[in-house]
Amino acid sequence: MRGYHDIGGSLSGPIPRTELPWLDWEKRVEAIRNLLGDSTRRVISLDEMRRGFESFGPEKYRTLSFYRRRLEAMIDILEEKGVLTRAELAAAVENSVQEPGET
Amino acid sequence: MPLFHAGERIRVLDLGKAGHVRIPAYVRGHVGTVVQFCGVFLNPEDLAIGNAGGCVVGCYRVEFLQTDLWTDYSEYPDDTLVTEIYEHWMEPAHG
Repeated sequence: MRGYHDIGGSLSGPIPRTELPWLDWEKRVEAIRNLLGDSTRRVISLDEMRRGFESFGPEKYRTLSFYRRRLEAMIDILEEKGVLTRAELAAAVENSVQEPGET
Repeated sequence: MPLFHAGERIRVLDLGKAGHVRIPAYVRGHVGTVVQFCGVFLNPEDLAIGNAGGCVVGCYRVEFLQTDLWTDYSEYPDDTLVTEIYEHWMEPAHG
């Protein structure tokens, strides 16, 4: 039993050594993850989120970026726990007011 | 109380578990040396399915020779790799 994410030792070719920018939405994903996992809320543990993206299947896993995986896994787990549904989330995003200064 | 102690030779089990596990495939079945007992922690395999009420398990730093892990690692025979292994993935190794 070897998960598709368990790639230690697999051939990868040359590693691109370029510094990637940490995008604003990625910081927000990490901030939300920290809040959901902190010791007072304990809504989603790091291990639960990992189980989430390790259950995507290899196709979806390889298509998504690091933070996109985390975001999608958190939504899956929140849905699984009955906290929200994807439909509710989509509606909330649709209705959200654009923050000042954002384009 | 730790089951294993620094200096002991252990073999990493291959438990064939589905779900979230922390033991990478490349160390399973290999023999290494316990470097340090790190303490006891909730089992990440339980936490991954939302169970925070399970038993705690011991965790150890274990050192492997790179040449034991990889067939094509011959240039630096003294190189080692240290990784953390939970107690239920370990058995004593003899010889």
